[in-house]
Amino acid sequence: MNWPLIAVRNILRDGTRVISTLLIIAVGLTALLLGSGFMLSTYDSLQEIGMRTEGHVIIIDDIPEPLLGGSHQQLTLNNWQSIQASLWDDERVLRVLPRARFEGIISKGSRNAVFFGSGVDPHEEFRVHGPFLRTNGVLDPWIATSETQDVVLGVQLARTLNAIKGDLLTLQIAGNSGEISQTPVRLAGTYQSGTPETDNHTLMISLTTTATLLGTDNISQLSIYLNRHQDASAMQASLQENLNNVIVQTWQQRAELYHKVKSLYDRIFGVMGLIILVVVFLAITNTISLAIYQRRKEIATFSALGTKPARIYANFILEALLIGITASMLGMLLAYGTSHAINLSELMMPAPPGKSEGYPIFIYISWSHYLLTSLLLIAIVVSASLLATYNTTKINIATALS
Amino acid sequence: MAARLSLNAISKSYGAGDSRVTALTEITLSLHEGEFFAIQGSSGSGKSTLLNICGLIDHPSNGDLHLNDIAITQLNEQQRCMHRRKSIGFIFQHHQLIPAMTVYENIAYPLLLNNKPSRQVRHEVEQLLTKLNLTHRRKHLPRQLSGGEQQRVGIARALIKRPQLIIADEPSASLDHQHADAGLQLMRELNQTFAASFLIASHDPLVIAHCDRKLTLLDGHMDGHIDSHS
Repeated sequence: MNWPLIAVRNILRDGTRVISTLLIIAVGLTALLLGSGFMLSTYDSLQEIGMRTEGHVIIIDDIPEPLLGGSHQQLTLNNWQSIQASLWDDERVLRVLPRARFEGIISKGSRNAVFFGSGVDPHEEFRVHGPFLRTNGVLDPWIATSETQDVVLGVQLARTLNAIKGDLLTLQIAGNSGEISQTPVRLAGTYQSGTPETDNHTLMISLTTTATLLGTDNISQLSIYLNRHQDASAMQASLQENLNNVIVQTWQQRAELYHKVKSLYDRIFGVMGLIILVVVFLAITNTISLAIYQRRKEIATFSALGTKPARIYANFILEALLIGITASMLGMLLAYGTSHAINLSELMMPAPPGKSEGYPIFIYISWSHYLLTSLLLIAIVVSASLLATYNTTKINIATALS
Repeated sequence: MAARLSLNAISKSYGAGDSRVTALTEITLSLHEGEFFAIQGSSGSGKSTLLNICGLIDHPSNGDLHLNDIAITQLNEQQRCMHRRKSIGFIFQHHQLIPAMTVYENIAYPLLLNNKPSRQVRHEVEQLLTKLNLTHRRKHLPRQLSGGEQQRVGIARALIKRPQLIIADEPSASLDHQHADAGLQLMRELNQTFAASFLIASHDPLVIAHCDRKLTLLDGHMDGHIDSHS
């Protein structure tokens, strides 16, 4: 007996109901794939920000961080040049960037503002941030060409000081031994991250200038950028084993924002996904139950002829599978087309909490994700069919045939 | 002659308390091997209920039922299912063909259920199709057939596996005189060749005339004795 052909004939018997069932599943799948695609692209962006900001692997001194914020550290890492030199031979390593964090006051004329500064490698720093830190008028590299040192400000900090490129500003910094040093700097340009905390309060100067101003060539952290982010854990483990008196962390251990947002989105999209699945399950169960109940005489005839219940279940499972697979393909096609349309349209999302600017919506297309979600929907269709078949086969054969 | 089917004080009632309805009361009869047995009675007299119990698709409330000396009332649903598959053929009043199966598949299905080799299935289905003048309809679906053709397919499906007991509910209801006669001839042939027993509920005098004995039901009771045709 050609059961798949018989299943196809059964499906085609009730075209209207089958079309509505297909649409319910396909639209549900599309909603799930679009929602999860957006979630995945958000995670991807947050990961990228975390990795580009901090580096894939971070080395800090093993003195506990001060209470004031995670990124503003004491200048205690003193053997970093040798670590940096040893890492250059490692094929996994792309860049090794030293960073010295400090605080102070910056002023232009009567205007002044508190800042959080970073002493960085002016040759490499802006090459690692990609689209997440856009520069404005900053030369590459932006090292000083005269006796005056260059500084690059967060765009809002420059606006607060009413400073434009080329302006002379004054930095006041507390040195390592507590004395206040004051030095003129020239504004070499601005950068913009879209994060108010960064854009309003931070600046960067070259590490050489930092050492001169602070009276130490110690740094706060050494950020290691890898060719493949998948190597981060292995590198962290091997460095931790080989280096003494330092703490080696991966970007994930320092990406507080990533974990918070991921946790929030997991819950939001988890609940949303669950609601969609429940709605699809109820709608499908309702449609399939009605369809199967209307076929109770057929089920009773099968039973009267001596068909085992397993065979009857298999017939309805086969039909559910065919409907589920067809609807899944339709849903995947819909989701794929809609995702592309949204990605090409460059629709903007409003600024999320902690950001000052929106970002373009991007829907991630992952075939493994498409496949898993489709399998979940197919399992739901089969479950709904099993439930409906179970309820119908419980009806007495004689009653069903009457 | 050995009893194919025996009923001893079979009763059937539905509901409980004040809403209790009695459909059958203490029906006792024996159906012998190769016997044609008619059940007649007006609508609501309990004919269908009795057929359902004899065909093992319904349970009696009281009484004993034996098929080939096996106490059916002691069996579980799986065992009853096996007996229906092996030993019982059904001719339903409303045909009850499987809508998504072709004429050929509907007729072949009971043989496939009993794991007959496909060559034998093909041979026997083709024979029956020819005998019932349905060869040209073999690839048609039930909805493409007339009522009479559907009934002939139903008869063919019941007879194909040569069951020991055939339960027929108004087998000639949708047939014209010529096809009714052909169907009855086929049933008689099977009855004579394989000693199949027939339990037939019918109003049709032609069908009743073919039967060896008849029982009349009146409001679920046996109306008098079981009559034998001379």
